[in-house]
Amino acid sequence: MGWLENILDTLSTKPVIGYAPDAAPATEPTALAALALIAHDRQPKAKPATDSLTSIQSPDGSVGVRQKELEPQWPTSLAVLAWQAYDKQAYATNIDRAVSWILEVKGKAMEQTSDMGHNTTLVGWSWADGTHSWIEPTAFHVLALKVTGRSEHPRTREAITLLLDRQLPSGGCNYGNTSVLGQMLRPHVQPTGIALLALAKEQDQGNRIAKSVAWLRKALSKETTPASLAWGALGLAAHGVTLPDAPEWLETAAKRVQSHDNSPHKLALLALAAAGPRPLTPDP
Amino acid sequence: MSSKPFSSVPPSRISRRVLLAGAGLVAAGIVGTRTVRQWMKQRASVFVAKNQTYGGQLVQTIRDGLIASGIDAATLKGKKVLLKPNMVEPSREAPHMTTHPAIILAAAEVFRGFGASVTVGEGPGHVRDTDMALAESGVQDALDSSKLPFADLNYQEVAWVENRGHASKLVGFWFPRGAAEADVVVSLPKMKTHHWVGVTAAMKNLYGVIPGIKYGWPKNVLHHNGIPETVFDINASLPRTIAIVDGIDCMEGDGPIMGTKKKMGLVVIGANPAAVDATICRLMDLDPAQVPYLQLAGGRLGPIDDGLISQHGEKWQPLASPFKILDKPHLQRLRTHKGVLVT
Repeated sequence: MGWLENILDTLSTKPVIGYAPDAAPATEPTALAALALIAHDRQPKAKPATDSLTSIQSPDGSVGVRQKELEPQWPTSLAVLAWQAYDKQAYATNIDRAVSWILEVKGKAMEQTSDMGHNTTLVGWSWADGTHSWIEPTAFHVLALKVTGRSEHPRTREAITLLLDRQLPSGGCNYGNTSVLGQMLRPHVQPTGIALLALAKEQDQGNRIAKSVAWLRKALSKETTPASLAWGALGLAAHGVTLPDAPEWLETAAKRVQSHDNSPHKLALLALAAAGPRPLTPDP
Repeated sequence: MSSKPFSSVPPSRISRRVLLAGAGLVAAGIVGTRTVRQWMKQRASVFVAKNQTYGGQLVQTIRDGLIASGIDAATLKGKKVLLKPNMVEPSREAPHMTTHPAIILAAAEVFRGFGASVTVGEGPGHVRDTDMALAESGVQDALDSSKLPFADLNYQEVAWVENRGHASKLVGFWFPRGAAEADVVVSLPKMKTHHWVGVTAAMKNLYGVIPGIKYGWPKNVLHHNGIPETVFDINASLPRTIAIVDGIDCMEGDGPIMGTKKKMGLVVIGANPAAVDATICRLMDLDPAQVPYLQLAGGRLGPIDDGLISQHGEKWQPLASPFKILDKPHLQRLRTHKGVLVT
């Protein structure tokens, strides 16, 4: 896999990355770069990335979006995943502080009205302080709690309930609404993939996980855009589904990125997807 | 919701300049020189073109409309122009949800012809994967064909700008580099109903310059501080703005995402987005004075009173066609005529 080795070689020399080639380093891309290197057995090369995440960590344990932007703190979960995957002992203090922050903060619950189809009283995690809980930040924080041994924590359990509640009746989910003012909304690949990562090995009486897995299997194709493809593939893999054409699609997507914006974030994500969900999920 | 700055970087009470976070650079911004007092008495011009199609002479239409609206092309020479279409949550199943690529291409050609440097930028509010939004909307193909640069406003580095509107409690806004460094932001909305605020056009479209990396997907920080208030405040805090509305295939009913297509064949242009949006409302047979963000904007950011808006091109009255709106109590007051169908 020449395309993959090329990406990993590039990440190995510069794992502290941003969303664009000339952009300032950012937490999410850097965490994903670290995870990709670790997943492909290049762990030592990830250390500059995991170390850089410690420099962004605030006294309250949270990790902001970029070096000089301490808010919002939704990428805290991704930093935890990177530290845990690299060496949970070496980063024990950072992990403990971050988890303390994660367990303290909450997405804003809202009074249930007939306007909103989902259960607005369930509490997960939000994108920004004082706002409602949404799929991706909730799923990322569930993953962080699971890999640190807190799968049965009440916050994790409620968040799982929330993620299930936000799945659309026909399968898949979007940013986190189901129906609004009586109208059912459309599912999207990326949040479905991320939600399914968090829902791996979960029980679901309502069969919603199976429906979302089925929807995602049909939704992924060679046309799927890179980030969505990567998260979609990871989400399916977490449920034991491997699409036979996925390796080819990932390679095609990587070439598309390199010919367009050459985003290090997307390339790191594609490299991670090629390895599978192992660093994002708890040890069996 | 806290009224404190939405970041640890302290706000600056600078009125015409922006500070790039972490870069220490100062970029010159061009802000309208008019005072609020002048705005209150200001008239505005709005240009309406009818019988427009996506395969038609949009370049000519847009050029004519900008000039008729009082825009001096010479002032745009050498300027950085950000074209901001609506790609909130694109889907191939619903092309009437998002700004048609033909409008973007035509606008780019016009502004490039004026000597401006043009970038297309968007921060989709409901999708984190901007490539998906570009693909589903057809905009990626248009960008590639015209070699137009694209700025992903959701993830760029940000600059802090003081809230000049003061309608919400937000002290300021984090604008992405693409918006903060632009001399002119051109709002290229789709003409649609909106199930919360009634209408979404030029002013509401500028929610998309707010970066999701700071405000979320959806941009809940704005919602929690009041949609009308934050629409007003964002428009008040941006540099010079121009509106070019894609009113060819529109959306009625449950906009801005799940509504149905309504063909109007219009392109509406103006240098004052408030006046443009007021005209859009009238074309929809909706009362602009009942749209909350226009209530705030009227007399402050521009005129919404029909008597203060000079109509160029076509008159709006013969072109008005009632748009279906949801049968919800908070939307009923928008209807100007009784007995018109609502969904």
